Amino acid sequence: MTASKLASRSTLFSLFAGLLFVALLGWRIASMPDYTFARIVQDFLNALTLGSLYALIALGYTMVYGIIRLINFAHGEIFMLGSYFAFYAMTLTPMHWGLALLTTVLLGGTVLLVLRSLFNLEEPKRTFLLALLIFGGTFFLLAFRHLGWIEALLLSMLATGVAGVLLEAVAYRPLRGAPRESMLITAIAASFFLQNMGQLLFGPRVRGFNAETVLNQPRSFAIGEETVYFTGILIVVPAVTAVLLFVLNLFVTRTRLGKAMRATAQDAEVAQMMGVNVNQVIALTFFIGSILAAAAGVMYSIRFGQIHPLMGLMPGIKAFTAAVIGGIGSLPGAVLGGLLLGFIEIYVVSFFPTLSAYKDVFAFVLLILILLFRPSGLVGEDLTEKV
Amino acid sequence: MRNHLLTLATVGLVTLGLYLLTQMDGTSGLLSALRLIFIWGIAAISLNLINGQLGILSLGHHGFMLVGGYVTALLMLPEKERRPFRTRLLSDWARDNLDLDKWLRGLGLDFIANSIDLKFIIALFIAGLAAALLGVLVGAPSLRLKGDYLAIVTFGFGEIIRLLPNAPEVAAFTNGPLGIKGIPGDAGTIWWTFFAFLFVLWFFTRLKFSSYGRAFEGIREDEIAAEAMGVNLAYHKVLAFTISAFFAGVAGGLYASYLQSVDTQTFNFFVTFFLLVAISLGGLGSITGAVIGTAVVVLVRNYGGFLEQPYPAWVGYLSGALLMLGAFAFSAYIRKTRRLRPVIETKHYIFGAIGLALLLVTVFFRNEPWMTQTVQFFGMRKILLAVILILIMIYRREGVMGRAEFSWKLIFGPREDIPSEEQRKQDAWLSNPELNPGASETKEDDDASA
Repeated sequence: MTASKLASRSTLFSLFAGLLFVALLGWRIASMPDYTFARIVQDFLNALTLGSLYALIALGYTMVYGIIRLINFAHGEIFMLGSYFAFYAMTLTPMHWGLALLTTVLLGGTVLLVLRSLFNLEEPKRTFLLALLIFGGTFFLLAFRHLGWIEALLLSMLATGVAGVLLEAVAYRPLRGAPRESMLITAIAASFFLQNMGQLLFGPRVRGFNAETVLNQPRSFAIGEETVYFTGILIVVPAVTAVLLFVLNLFVTRTRLGKAMRATAQDAEVAQMMGVNVNQVIALTFFIGSILAAAAGVMYSIRFGQIHPLMGLMPGIKAFTAAVIGGIGSLPGAVLGGLLLGFIEIYVVSFFPTLSAYKDVFAFVLLILILLFRPSGLVGEDLTEKV
Repeated sequence: MRNHLLTLATVGLVTLGLYLLTQMDGTSGLLSALRLIFIWGIAAISLNLINGQLGILSLGHHGFMLVGGYVTALLMLPEKERRPFRTRLLSDWARDNLDLDKWLRGLGLDFIANSIDLKFIIALFIAGLAAALLGVLVGAPSLRLKGDYLAIVTFGFGEIIRLLPNAPEVAAFTNGPLGIKGIPGDAGTIWWTFFAFLFVLWFFTRLKFSSYGRAFEGIREDEIAAEAMGVNLAYHKVLAFTISAFFAGVAGGLYASYLQSVDTQTFNFFVTFFLLVAISLGGLGSITGAVIGTAVVVLVRNYGGFLEQPYPAWVGYLSGALLMLGAFAFSAYIRKTRRLRPVIETKHYIFGAIGLALLLVTVFFRNEPWMTQTVQFFGMRKILLAVILILIMIYRREGVMGRAEFSWKLIFGPREDIPSEEQRKQDAWLSNPELNPGASETKEDDDASA
């Protein structure tokens, strides 16, 4: 099949899906008299937030799949780790200076080692500066004051990125070149391991994630006679997502490492022959995916106010669904799929309240339907196995 | 003939042993472990048919088991256990009509209805059929896919089936999250599971060495080649899926009657994971391996309870330290035996350092309150299973048995890995061109035709 034909088919498909959605929306709004404009706006905010979170997680799935064709089942658990790191960063600070020093040495040392291996920092001067920055920064953040959500978010992103790299190095790297089924089984095992490790280390109970910020203060604005209620997080999440996406896009399109990444995604073997360090690129992919998952995790926890060790399961599955909807392996596809899934989920529940019990089932049904009838997703390339 | 006699004798001996066990006191823990091994063994063998013999990764087995469990539960539920549902979610219709007892009496088959054992057989059979029907419904569309996409689709189906019993419309049959309690069935004896297990062993062994089994393995090795040899891919795949789902349903029914209750948490994704560990440990594609793997996994689960007992915290620190130091020493040992240099890699010093630090902390702070407080490592067994699975996948992907099966020949037969004197002579003759002038000519012919 030629590329143009494929493109036209996918365009047609998206157009059709969009039209169907709009038609459904119109019909439903017309038949619901109490569904006012204010509620549409409110739902829109919720959907945009949820969709952005799904998009952030889905990027991790899609990047990893694009590069090593592995469905990283443990990505939801990485998301959970991100939330817990931020939780502890916010609740345990300010630390006793000895404890802070110990954490700085352990955390900073690992971060430094991983970052050095990821970004080719062979030059001693640069490494020294980076070390100073990381150690000093971590110690300063931990020892002196209570961390706000932004610092916690940044710290958690760094720590979670490193955790993702370690996961890849321990569980997935030894399986390079193994059958894909074996890698998938390993990913499932890693997911179970992290879930239960989370229950062991963090405790199995649900904890309140109290960001104590302006983000959770209820606000409102009026549209006509109606009032729309929202919190700051509903604005912050899409904004942070947009910034992260912008940076990611710059990284992938404008830097040498981003180029190496795209080359590896196209053909790892050839990229290796051209001098790309494939292991480094894969580790970097896990790093970036985990950073985005951590950002999503922290914002998700602020949004919903509680965390527990199994919280990564459903968002993970839904983000994977989003990645598949968009076409797994494609970055814009993941964002599109995430937003689409967020909107579908919010509006379906809003329009058909009786279906809310099937919310989770719905994600799976969508996943299966897309995989069965359009495995390449909305904008993705055709990835079905060839002979 | 001798082999059949040996098999019969072994079965007889095992049966006798089980009988003696049931007569002895203090063996209830062992017996329930054995029952679990038999139940999970059935499930593992049936999953092994898809994952091992057919070579397709299916992650939806818990869904089929759930259907079997619920169907058995509904059919077998006695009248007095049905009554409380009036106030709950189970609908009147489901409560009054989905009753095997009623059906049998309606057909005038009172003698079956009076015997709980015969009823249980029929209930299990119907449970299997229901699961098999679902297997066809799930399998037929999803088997068009391949590889990890197929795995995800089966996983999705399994999760949908798991989530549905909680939905309000379906709860009319399943009683929602409360589940169904008070299921009679195998009446607490081991014989049900044992004979079902024997039947499954017999059936799957016969299947594996039949033309169907060979077709399955052909599909696993190379779909295109198998199709070229006349194997109908779709038919065989759906057939394997259906058989597997049938026995998964039976296993689910047996498990429900073992627990005497069933709810949506009984058959979650952990069930499939558990089976996956079992068959990967034993060796994908080997029935013997599935049984061995199941035994190991069930023993970890039933007798690994000491891992989750409350201990003073220093035990945790100490075992962490020993684990780290052990990993350090083990990696050094491996690298030494493989003659890799340096013997200790730089990054492995991290393990050693952490281990040493933990050890020192344990020794120096042993009297601190945070060191002597009691802690409990919940979920340690699941962590252990996950680690086992990762290690198998990294270091020994073929598991314990590979694809080999247990056979009497393995024990009593002549050794086939060492060539006999006659074979050796033959090999020498074949490879010596002076003794066998034809050998070199045929070789040239081969080269020419290639």
